Amino acid sequence: MNPVRVAFAVTRKDIRSEWRTREMVPALAQFVVLALVIANFGFQIDSRNAPSIAPGILWMALVFAGLVAFGRTFAAEREQASLEAVLMTPASPVAIFAGKAMAATILLVVCEAVMLPAMSLFFGTPFSAAVVGAVLLATIGMAALGCMFAAIVARIRARELLLPLLTLPLWIPFVIAGGQAVQSAMGLSGGYDNAMALLLDFDILFVVLTSLAARFVLDE
Amino acid sequence: MSSYVKAAAGAVVLMLLAAGAIFLYAPTDALQGPVQRIFYLHVSSAVAAFGCFAVVLIGGVIYLRNESVTADRFARAGALVGVLFTTVTLVMGMLWAKPVWGSFWAWDARLTSTLVLWIIYAGYLLVRRLAEPGRQAARLAAVVGIFGFIDVPVVYYSVTWWRTQHPGPVIVSNALPPEMLSTFLFTMACTVALAAVMIVIRYRIETLLDTKQTSTEPAKVLASREPSGLAGRAR
Repeated sequence: MNPVRVAFAVTRKDIRSEWRTREMVPALAQFVVLALVIANFGFQIDSRNAPSIAPGILWMALVFAGLVAFGRTFAAEREQASLEAVLMTPASPVAIFAGKAMAATILLVVCEAVMLPAMSLFFGTPFSAAVVGAVLLATIGMAALGCMFAAIVARIRARELLLPLLTLPLWIPFVIAGGQAVQSAMGLSGGYDNAMALLLDFDILFVVLTSLAARFVLDE
Repeated sequence: MSSYVKAAAGAVVLMLLAAGAIFLYAPTDALQGPVQRIFYLHVSSAVAAFGCFAVVLIGGVIYLRNESVTADRFARAGALVGVLFTTVTLVMGMLWAKPVWGSFWAWDARLTSTLVLWIIYAGYLLVRRLAEPGRQAARLAAVVGIFGFIDVPVVYYSVTWWRTQHPGPVIVSNALPPEMLSTFLFTMACTVALAAVMIVIRYRIETLLDTKQTSTEPAKVLASREPSGLAGRAR
């Protein structure tokens, strides 16, 4: 079986089930908009302090939306015990994992497509290609790590407790580099190109490592 | 006296000797005064923690290759002792930072990455506690332990890669006078020996816990048949 086709088939299946139920994307979109509203009351944001506060809010909202999105990827499979059935096919576990990671990434990107315009609408921060590029680049690596840990905790009792505890520390590199990139894209000083190069490095590192680990995480 | 008690007593004696070297032999720092003596244990326990996490890494890799129970027990022991030594490093660093920097904490790369290291391996210990013991838990924890080790070189090189408030490497750059260097090397050797003894003892405890687990297995099966049993409540 061609692993690339397997991966795309898994992605298509996940996206189709999301399209039919339409529960994740509206919930996540509402969640990130709510995060912006709460941040507004917490920080008293105006056009002067927005460039220094908005990137932090962006990453906070994105990180927690990501935790929900990646936690759900394997939760649905677990509830119906369908993962075991998929793993019994001769398809490679790495391809299945990649497919699920791609589907979760697409869901998160859709919710970013709501958050970034909402952010520039509410706070007046620029909605530029530089900001979108940094967020998308960080999403790739965060999705790889988030899906791997979601697969790990799917078999553990206190999975809702453990997923943030395991995932957030390893997401910190993305928040550091992505935060710097978004800050400089929003007008604060800081090297945008450096931060983007660092994000790309982290993406490559974690995508390679998670593909190596996927066999041990999903196998059984 | 069992060999474990002897090893533990030996480690205690070594640490007392190190304390003697730190307080009696090493010279007082000209700028910082006596508070600089924190340095010896602070850096030594960081080195010991790195060593413990290397045990977790190697144990995890061996476990994934051939499912060796020994390797997994060593990984568990290494994680626990490593978290302990990271805690010592962080607490001693904070005690040192307060008089020298004026605050207990600074969000620089070295401190942040060390805190992240602590959180990663504390998460590892939580995985071990929350997952049903057995093959599955060991494999998952091995993956967590291997990923967590990525942060160790980050902690080590953070002072070189970024401009930090935390001072850069003083050992490899030969910045210490000979008495301080010999005191440090001696303390480091003693601390690493202490960590090794702790890992060996913890390995023994893990072995005993594992045998207890397997011997109570039938009782657990019985309990799970009743709806209000132990296993029923755990769900």
